[in-house]
Amino acid sequence: MIKVFVTGLGIITSLGDSLESNREALKAGRCGIGKLYNFSTKYSESLLFGEIKLSNNHLKDFLNVKDLGVSRTSLLALHAFNQATADAGLTDKDFSSEDTALILANTVGGMCLTDELYQDSNQHDIGSENISSYDCGSVGVFLQARFGIAGIVNTINTACSSSANAVMYGCRLIKQGYAKKVIIGGTDSLAKFTINGFNSLHILSPGLCAPFDNNRNGLNLGEGAAFLVLEAEQDIADKKIYAEVKGYANANDAFHPSTLSENGDGPFLAMEEALKNAALNPSDIDFINTHGTGTENNDEVESKAMIRIFSNNLPAFASTKSNVGHTLGASGAVEAVYCILNLMHQEIYPSLNFKEPMADPGLIPNLLYHKKTIKNVMSNSFGFGGNCSSLIFSKV
Amino acid sequence: MFYIHNTVCISPQISFPDTDLDQLIICKDNKLYAKEVSYTDIPPAILRRMGKAVRLGVAASNPLFKLYDKLDGIIIGTSNGGMEDCIKFLNQIMHYEEGVLTPTNFVQSTPNAIASQLGFLSKNKGYNITHVHRGFAFENALLDAAMLLVSYPDNNYLLGGLDEISTYNFNIDYLCGYVKKETISNDDLYSGTTDGSIAGEGVAMFMVNNNSDGAVSKFRALQMLHTTDEKKLLTAFKTFLSNNLPQNETIDLFLSGENGDARYTKFYESAESILNKDTAAARFKHMSGEFRTASAFALWISNYIIKNQHIPPHMLKNAVKIKDINNIVIYNNYQGFQHSFMLLSKN
Amino acid sequence: MGTQELKQDLKEKIIEFLNLIDVKPEDIKDDQPLFGEGLGLDSIDSIELIVLLDRFYGIKIKDPKEGRKILVDINTMVGFIEKNRTL
Repeated sequence: MIKVFVTGLGIITSLGDSLESNREALKAGRCGIGKLYNFSTKYSESLLFGEIKLSNNHLKDFLNVKDLGVSRTSLLALHAFNQATADAGLTDKDFSSEDTALILANTVGGMCLTDELYQDSNQHDIGSENISSYDCGSVGVFLQARFGIAGIVNTINTACSSSANAVMYGCRLIKQGYAKKVIIGGTDSLAKFTINGFNSLHILSPGLCAPFDNNRNGLNLGEGAAFLVLEAEQDIADKKIYAEVKGYANANDAFHPSTLSENGDGPFLAMEEALKNAALNPSDIDFINTHGTGTENNDEVESKAMIRIFSNNLPAFASTKSNVGHTLGASGAVEAVYCILNLMHQEIYPSLNFKEPMADPGLIPNLLYHKKTIKNVMSNSFGFGGNCSSLIFSKV
Repeated sequence: MFYIHNTVCISPQISFPDTDLDQLIICKDNKLYAKEVSYTDIPPAILRRMGKAVRLGVAASNPLFKLYDKLDGIIIGTSNGGMEDCIKFLNQIMHYEEGVLTPTNFVQSTPNAIASQLGFLSKNKGYNITHVHRGFAFENALLDAAMLLVSYPDNNYLLGGLDEISTYNFNIDYLCGYVKKETISNDDLYSGTTDGSIAGEGVAMFMVNNNSDGAVSKFRALQMLHTTDEKKLLTAFKTFLSNNLPQNETIDLFLSGENGDARYTKFYESAESILNKDTAAARFKHMSGEFRTASAFALWISNYIIKNQHIPPHMLKNAVKIKDINNIVIYNNYQGFQHSFMLLSKN
Repeated sequence: MGTQELKQDLKEKIIEFLNLIDVKPEDIKDDQPLFGEGLGLDSIDSIELIVLLDRFYGIKIKDPKEGRKILVDINTMVGFIEKNRTL
């Protein structure tokens, strides 16, 4: 069986626009969540967001984007794409090879242009410059055209587990010979659309989210992009290797459009099948980057599902959503990058804002930065519609 | 790659529950709407929240769920999913100035609402995914199914492609120049010389696995290509055929995604240029309209043609004598830059 | 509006707002539980009903947990609307 390795990483979140700045912030237990600056919504003052403070104009200048109608979702993606592909040493020749695939994940697409979409979708005269950039596919179309990617290009949207599924799809392309290199990316930007959507479900916390805390009262929305370059074992030569993608699984909770079932069958199956796929036992997992949104439902169900898998030997776990908020379609990729930081530096980062364990099952996330021997790390991503996925990364 | 067994298609044509494709349903306003069907199979408590795309997706899948005891996953390609709900929610944001909003439209607006609703209704906890990459959304769903069936050879998957016309995505597609400015009748789609096509929608669902017993057809090859250059398209098409169609086999039908948009005729002509004079060529977008997962309709109708050994006459582009239809090659492109080739053969 | 009239009005609004297919106002009994076994509504509907109270009766409920006490059946909803409506 062909092994798939991670050879390049790129990331931009409210913690920073590079791998190193994200790591430093995670080590220090910093939180990138605060007041909204870049656009106005009724909730700018009353809610908190994991916002990247760079404006669109700044990003466009910095990234040398002259085209019209490039959404913030695409700009964030481009930034992380550039980092990850440079990190893996990919060249134009690689991009134009049919063996290089590009697999994107996002849920917002160009809908960050909420007001513009409203104008365009309700009129019949002349479209704005953004007219062809609203759909989720627009990010992949933009990157494909900019870099002349010649291999398979795809976009996956399974809500908040989208980019975990992109990693999975990319691994399978490599293992079955459809690609030798796969550039995986998750991206999403803050949008009036999602802010109002999550708010209408009453799951946005007015304060900082507190994953796994007894008094948690919702999530904070965030934005970001993270890219990973995956390559087949035999094509890597002497390249630097960050980690192996050891296992993955996708399952459905088959319960409710926006809440997880009481016993967390979907999360349980995703973790169980990922372990099976990796040929690992639960006791082999040294750390879990949980989905951990900070909503009442998710954290309770995820706790129960983790106990079902790990019983008394639950490894250390944390939620980096307490640092960057919930970056939706990007979260799986952002957290994959954080898992790889865990492996690279043999360290784990504190979960923030946790004070008191919930009455049942009362799990306590990792609260301090410390060094730790980590061989295998699991990342959970669960989305609306019961779309649950787990990934396992291993030290090489 | 895999075998196609039972299929259901809900389209603007008479395709479900009865099928009568020889009779072409006519539309004169550039919008080919899929015909709504009976939804008695869907619990009313759930049906009430569904937008059209979700409703059609569920109605097309229910008959297939009943035929298979073992279903291992649901793989959907949809570029937009429930667009109507998405814009309804957007309109709420604006009309109520971000005030108190109803969440149902938001929850239904995510493209994965269809696959997840299918998972929920069939109590299927297996693989569940939604591919949304525009003109390649269904193609990636096909590739996903093919890869899964290599890893899990005994599995059965529900594979589908669907999209809906909503007032709003119609407006956006119109503003993008994807829809003709003048209104035409769909039976006159290919005679125009103007830009744009007619909008379409529909759902096609397929039960696929590795078991040839009782299968109608075998899905043998898929190729996706990004290009705006018809010469590159031609080279890729030749390579596709030489890689996948053995020399002793012939293309019995070339199914073209021609859509009446004058800008893209060159691609179809380029691909057709290498066919033998006696190869039958047919078109389908006057039946389905143009949409980003129209290739799902193309695959469905190819499977229908193989099963019935009959091509609805209005589909035929040339007057050749039709022999046995064993191999069908489908070529489709979306807006002249996302091209796909498929090879489907009689089982 | 009298209590009976308000009950009828509320039932009609609930049916329309939640798009309850094949349900008529007379099918909803005043003391029939709205959630679970009764009318079969779920957590998303409870939020929808909070929006309904806001849009049609001018009642703002900030905490969905507070809503659960009000959204028991038609009787409890009507009692609450009569006391708190601003529209």
